Amino acid sequence: MRNSWLVALRELKERLGSRSFVGMMIAGPLLILVLIYFLFAFGGEGQQKWNVLIADPTGIMDKKILISADPDVTYSFANGYIEMNEFRDAKQFREFDALVEVNEKILSNKLSFVFYRENPSMRMQTKIRYQVERRIEEVMVAQFTDLSIRDFRKVKQPLNMAFRNVYDPMDEASDLRGWVGLFYGALIFSFIFLFGMTILRSVTREKSNRIVEVLLATVHPNQLMIGKIVGIGIAAFIQFVVWMLLVAIGLVLMRSYVFPDLFDPSHVVAMGEHASDHFFAATEYNQFVDLVYERIRFGTMTFYFILFFVLGYLFYGALFAAIGATSGSESDGQQFVLPLIFLLCFALFAGYYSLQNPESGLAMLFHYLPFTSPVVVMVKLSLGYAPGHAYEIWMSLILLLLSAAGVLVLAGRLYRNGILQFGHRLRFGMLLRWLKRM
Amino acid sequence: MLEVQHISKSFFRKTALEDVSMTVREGEIFGLLGPNGAGKTTLIRIINKIIDADRGVVRINGDLMTQKHLSMVGYLPEERGLYKSMTVEDHALFLGQLRGLSKRDVKMQLDYWLEKFTIGDWKKKRIEELSKGMAQKVQFICTVLHEPKILILDEPLSGFDPVNVELIKQELIEMRAKGKLIILSTHNMKSVEEICDRVALIDHSKKILEGTVSEIRESRKTGEIAIKFRGSMIAFVNALWTNFELVDKEILADDRFIARLKTRGETNFDDLLRAMMGQVRIEAVWEVLPSMQDIFIDLVTPKTEGTHA
Repeated sequence: MRNSWLVALRELKERLGSRSFVGMMIAGPLLILVLIYFLFAFGGEGQQKWNVLIADPTGIMDKKILISADPDVTYSFANGYIEMNEFRDAKQFREFDALVEVNEKILSNKLSFVFYRENPSMRMQTKIRYQVERRIEEVMVAQFTDLSIRDFRKVKQPLNMAFRNVYDPMDEASDLRGWVGLFYGALIFSFIFLFGMTILRSVTREKSNRIVEVLLATVHPNQLMIGKIVGIGIAAFIQFVVWMLLVAIGLVLMRSYVFPDLFDPSHVVAMGEHASDHFFAATEYNQFVDLVYERIRFGTMTFYFILFFVLGYLFYGALFAAIGATSGSESDGQQFVLPLIFLLCFALFAGYYSLQNPESGLAMLFHYLPFTSPVVVMVKLSLGYAPGHAYEIWMSLILLLLSAAGVLVLAGRLYRNGILQFGHRLRFGMLLRWLKRM
Repeated sequence: MLEVQHISKSFFRKTALEDVSMTVREGEIFGLLGPNGAGKTTLIRIINKIIDADRGVVRINGDLMTQKHLSMVGYLPEERGLYKSMTVEDHALFLGQLRGLSKRDVKMQLDYWLEKFTIGDWKKKRIEELSKGMAQKVQFICTVLHEPKILILDEPLSGFDPVNVELIKQELIEMRAKGKLIILSTHNMKSVEEICDRVALIDHSKKILEGTVSEIRESRKTGEIAIKFRGSMIAFVNALWTNFELVDKEILADDRFIARLKTRGETNFDDLLRAMMGQVRIEAVWEVLPSMQDIFIDLVTPKTEGTHA
């Protein structure tokens, strides 16, 4: 144990001292922030002026919405019920870009559907959401309370406005929460690949410069392998934490300095009320803020992210170490790492598939397969498990734990038998023979 | 005392060692000799518990050797490496701590050895900044840092210049005097003759010879006599009877030679001296013992039928 820890510390020290590690520590989050920047910038473009039809059969909104008109959005009101298919196909509705459903239940269930033809920009979504919500609030304050509208906003429940594409009303593909899960999963696998390759390189380098023989005269091969995996794993974890911190700081700075208009209601709509009111409302209802600060359960996601990251890393890390130990040369090792890369790519595909078909049998299978579960569980976790089904996460976790333990044992056998073999051409039969030898 | 008892090892279908036994005592430098691929490295790895033997055991002072005995061993493999990006001090700290030393002890020992080798200013240098010979010295220091009772050195002198070869040899002699048990695997037969007390020769996975250096050389002598003289070579040859055969000669100067002779029949050393008296001026006469190099080559060179050794 002491020896494994010493090996781990050496690996950690080497990683922390390397320029590439420090470079990645800064470049990685920067890249993510740049992607987010483009997402924002891109999301802000598109159709600038919207013609919105509000179907209000019970006349809740009384054909009113804004004190002063918004130059970008024109609202019209319809008195009857309009079905989504009717809105999509009927000639008389072609001129409208979106249909907002305001039925009699909205005052109790706070749910409204918005059907659109072309994906509205984030900014446009925020405007529609904000403007409809304001009007509903006015109606509610007038009908049900003696509170001022400002006090009411402090205690009210937010309106859940579901945006649906008329051509994809189930809207499974665009569920942002699912994409966040896939992003988490992809992050796990990026780290596994990045640091798995680091394990591979570290093992092959020790083999090629022959220090491994000096080490093996003191350290058992399994201790050496575990120490290496743990040390590089800790480095990966440190890098992940730094990435998260930098991304968080970057997002805060971006909100304040780069895209203030996305978050500042005075840029969204002018209603002639107090600025503080606007700010309160906008931060509450902006889709991005809503997603990041309200809808994603960061605590839960991060907790499971860490568990699946650790076990997934052990599962794949042991395989990378075994390939490094059994290969006759560095190029040999890189060749044998291809199947692992395919497996990692397949896991990402499984995550995407599960995002599109979360309830399918195949998604369930991927949810439990140890080499796909880290990414699929993240996707399902972000989409949300049905009540009473949270045990599925733990089952997946236990399966991954057992598989990781099994892989560590087998990889240990390969590592032990292969680490002192030099200059050979690795063949599959050779791996099988080494696997059989204790 | 380290005992290797009936060790056998095969890798798939290839036999690397077959029933090899030997005993090495404290205060002794034991030469482990053999051509490339004979099985020396396999035997060393088995002693170091890097690989397990198929049959046979290794004992230290009567106990079966286990992982816990490894802290008593200092091993310098033939193909040895260092972490290039680490400093000499960090390297020593890492390996020293792996062998059970505290940080403080490692630093103390490192300072001692760096001072002894007069290379104190290397401490903070990165390994990649060192020359091959300098790195070899660091490797040697890292091997002996934890003051092991048993030293297993595979080609410890390779890569060193003659000055450093002497330095390392002197260190080994000092360590022997302190009672360390040293196994030295080398192809440098001159060093074997100079510092090894006993040797074992492994060839084709079997031990084919074991004994003290002097015993082995004595047992393999062929009755050759060398004579160093001043005078005429013609007069010298004329003075030889048919009972002596001139095997070889070395010209030291126009009138100074060393001749190597073989005796025939019942003739002896005294007969040679009597024959040469008055013919040449004898400076020295001695019995020629075969060098370890000759013995090694003789024993490991494949013999073909009809060829006389």
